[in-house]
Amino acid sequence: MNILTSLISSLIFPAGLTLIVVGMLYEWVDRKLVARFQNRVGPRWFQPFADVVKLFAKEQITPGIVNPILFFGLPIVAISGALTAALYVPLIGMAPVHSFPGDLIVTIYLLSLLTMCTGLAGWNTSSRFSLIGATRTLTQLFAYEAPFLLALLGPALAAGSWQIGMINAFASDHLIALSQPVGFIVALIGLMGKLELPPFDAPEAETEIVAGALTEYSGRGLAMFKIGKSIELIVGITLVSAFYLGGLHGVLPFLAKTLAVLFLMTILQTLLTRLRIDQTVGLWWRFGAILVLAQILFTILLKGYLL
Amino acid sequence: MNIEQSLQKAEQLLASWNKEATHPETNRLDASIAADDLRPAVTALHDAHWGYLSAITGLDLGPDSGQMEALYHFCCGAAITTLRIRLPRTNDATLPTIEDIIPPATFFERELHEMLGFKIAGAKSNERLFISDDWPEDVYPLRSDFSIEQAKPVEGRHADELPDQGVVGGNTFVIPIGPQHPALKEPGHFEFTVDGEIVTAARMRLGYAHRGIEKAAESRNWIQNLYLFERICGICSHTHAMAYSMGVEKLAQVEVPARAQAIRELVAGLERVHSHLLWLGVAAHEAGFDTLFMYSWRDRETVMNLLEQLTGNRVNYSANVLGGVKCDVGLEQANAIKDGLNYLETRIRHYLEVVTTDTMFLNRTRGIGTISYDEAEEFGLLGPTARASGLVRDIRVEAPYGAYGRFPVSSVTETNGDLEARCVVRLKELLVSCFTMRTIIDNLPEGPLTVRMPRKIPAGETISRVEAPRGELFYYIKSNGGENPARVHIRTPSLCNWVSVLEKAVGRQLADVPMLIAGMDPCFSCNDRLVTTVSHTRSGHTGDGKSGERKTWTWKELREHGIEYYNR
Amino acid sequence: MRIGTMFKDILKSFFTKHSTQLYPIERIAPPERYRGILSYNPSVCTGCSLCVKDCPSNAIELVILDRAAKQYVLKYHMDRCVYCGQCVVNCKFKCIGLSNQDWEHAALDKNFMVYYGRDQDIAKFLESIARPAVEPTSS
Repeated sequence: MNILTSLISSLIFPAGLTLIVVGMLYEWVDRKLVARFQNRVGPRWFQPFADVVKLFAKEQITPGIVNPILFFGLPIVAISGALTAALYVPLIGMAPVHSFPGDLIVTIYLLSLLTMCTGLAGWNTSSRFSLIGATRTLTQLFAYEAPFLLALLGPALAAGSWQIGMINAFASDHLIALSQPVGFIVALIGLMGKLELPPFDAPEAETEIVAGALTEYSGRGLAMFKIGKSIELIVGITLVSAFYLGGLHGVLPFLAKTLAVLFLMTILQTLLTRLRIDQTVGLWWRFGAILVLAQILFTILLKGYLL
Repeated sequence: MNIEQSLQKAEQLLASWNKEATHPETNRLDASIAADDLRPAVTALHDAHWGYLSAITGLDLGPDSGQMEALYHFCCGAAITTLRIRLPRTNDATLPTIEDIIPPATFFERELHEMLGFKIAGAKSNERLFISDDWPEDVYPLRSDFSIEQAKPVEGRHADELPDQGVVGGNTFVIPIGPQHPALKEPGHFEFTVDGEIVTAARMRLGYAHRGIEKAAESRNWIQNLYLFERICGICSHTHAMAYSMGVEKLAQVEVPARAQAIRELVAGLERVHSHLLWLGVAAHEAGFDTLFMYSWRDRETVMNLLEQLTGNRVNYSANVLGGVKCDVGLEQANAIKDGLNYLETRIRHYLEVVTTDTMFLNRTRGIGTISYDEAEEFGLLGPTARASGLVRDIRVEAPYGAYGRFPVSSVTETNGDLEARCVVRLKELLVSCFTMRTIIDNLPEGPLTVRMPRKIPAGETISRVEAPRGELFYYIKSNGGENPARVHIRTPSLCNWVSVLEKAVGRQLADVPMLIAGMDPCFSCNDRLVTTVSHTRSGHTGDGKSGERKTWTWKELREHGIEYYNR
Repeated sequence: MRIGTMFKDILKSFFTKHSTQLYPIERIAPPERYRGILSYNPSVCTGCSLCVKDCPSNAIELVILDRAAKQYVLKYHMDRCVYCGQCVVNCKFKCIGLSNQDWEHAALDKNFMVYYGRDQDIAKFLESIARPAVEPTSS
């Protein structure tokens, strides 16, 4: 693979720019579906783009007490973490841009990098609301991270590999959602926690703490965090649907499966009330972790017996 | 016991201090007492559980007479006892405090102090409640010789003397909610000291939407005032107009035709549906359940369309005129209302089911903010907030007015006293309202819509109380026989209910705080119309506009009241 | 334990039209009793000025050029009017009304004063205020 192809595939297609565009389109689908479920009209297709363009055009107000390196650097680190994580997943149904054994762990930690950057950003700006938002973000990270990782581990165990490309290939022969249903549910709900979608949006509960960790961000910084969030949306959905819904090989299966997962998440978003942060943590550590551990145990036993 | 017996009992209780007792209306006892006898008189009434303190009105009788009056109104069912204290019109007129006997009196006493200049002896704090901190000293807006020129802001003082907040050591710091905050629909300032996620202290300031309506009322004629009072609040507007009209009609000794009274009750019922659906949406939004918010507000459109069809506007209906109503219920409107009510009833039953069975919503409402019956009585709560704790304070039932005698409603109570109970009470009330409204439409009495009212209302005083969607609304109207009222004092229910928020927030998580605030259905606009002032705000805005007035009622002080009261 | 009590609502909404009114593309006509813009008929007016007296915001002024010939000009401050309808109630001759035809009163400039009456009366009145020496009776 020469350098040019490598650069294009990392920066333009399918990762990089195309990813950003597709990410924002998926964000639009999410918002539009939520609106239709609530009997409203919802935004037009270019709304997320318009939001980002507007944010880039606005002045960035820097609070006086922040550490400027962190303040300006954290959005950049966050978005680069998300973009890098996308290099290892089968975007738009094509093979991952780069692949090496163990890249599952790397991807998940790069996704968590975005959440940690949000938390750090909240601590850095140290306004009342952002401190509480940051605390809640990190508490929630602590809660759902382990079950989510374990839920993604189930298919890895079944496929016998830590490499996303190999798991994807394995999954195209086996519909893992059927053999590991509990894992599928935990992965789906874990994804909602990771993306801070309702009911897990306590970190950015607007009726309590204005905007959570990102309260003091505006202009470019906020735009970058927002883009990072939509990239995270796509990467997360791609992972979950690649592992559980039978692998992603081709554009049409990609669209069908990821949109199906998005649809399910939207229904859950509109049906459920926001959980308080203590209820979130309680839920995850009591139900989430136990369920997924049971599932993994079952998978191990099954694999041991079948082979 | 009926009204006469109630009043006789009150007269007996007050016998030793009563200098002169009159009965200005059949259900009122007016007892003049000296300032020193106030505390024993109040204690006597309180210990005998004769009613509750509803309001404290202050009056300035003018520089010619050289006197001011303070009226303490106690209400027991339909009977009202007023303790009248007359003091010379100086800046040293002192009244003893009664806040240790009756905790909710603090708000009223502070209003009395800042508006008229009564000194309250023994009060924990003589701080301002509604007036801003840069208002000049010794200038009292409700005095009859007050003029705009006196209202110059004091140099060097901030309108908003916020104490320095910030990180208060370790994990503890102060979260401000308001005046601008996504959780609040109207401005108000709350400061919650949190330690991690748990609230350890709460304080509150009001007065941001203060428009000076009571003083403005004194320079407008009786008819113009109707529209002024209607605009105190958007969702209680009809009840304000109704209370005012009823008071003026009583003074003019005019009997409103039965058809008009029935239509007033009909519009009040529709307004209640409107208000409670709005509240349901707001409470759901505070909890994070946006779907319920969107759906209940969509259904609210139905009732607003009904009101538009009947009265001509969606908010501020202007259905009332002095002497009756403006809009008639024709066949078309009646059918539309009945269809609308059918649809609404189905939806309200559905919401009742959602609110009581949805596990995740219950996690945010069940067992949170529980107020027991005794606490509700002590804090002087009103309206659905009190009824959720089992305390029935419902004017439509205790002292039926207007057409409520002919088309009665039943009161809905719950016993749990938590947020879930408040949701359930409000929704069940709506079902009762829908039933009553159908009865009214089917049995609307025939007759004229209005009766002729004189332009100059005869001299006298009257008290009218109606049940707004948030509780008891208290109007005291005094006329000197002219074209303008001499004094109108309004005590809105939200003022009495604030205590529940502050008291119950402590020990709960920060996430519960918006739900607690929303749970008592606060109406800041209703609250803040007490004193009239034309004040120069920061932007140089003059005129009967907003005044950035605020007072701090610290939770610490309130808690001390509660503790001392229980320890007595 | 029930989760998702609003599921039926959500499902139904997905297949039905949104309940938002796409204003200004869709304009739903207001009901008959809606209190919109003022309308005035000088030929029935007697100049009693009861409407002016009870207006809560002093939004109307009646200029009587000639009572016998029924030459009236009604000055209407559109920015002050609260559309309460008290003027309509007070008028015994039904010459003033609040019609539901025009209710979109958002403006881009501050020309809020509207004159009602016969064109020649309005012209006469405007002329007279331009020449301050001659003042018509006003109330």
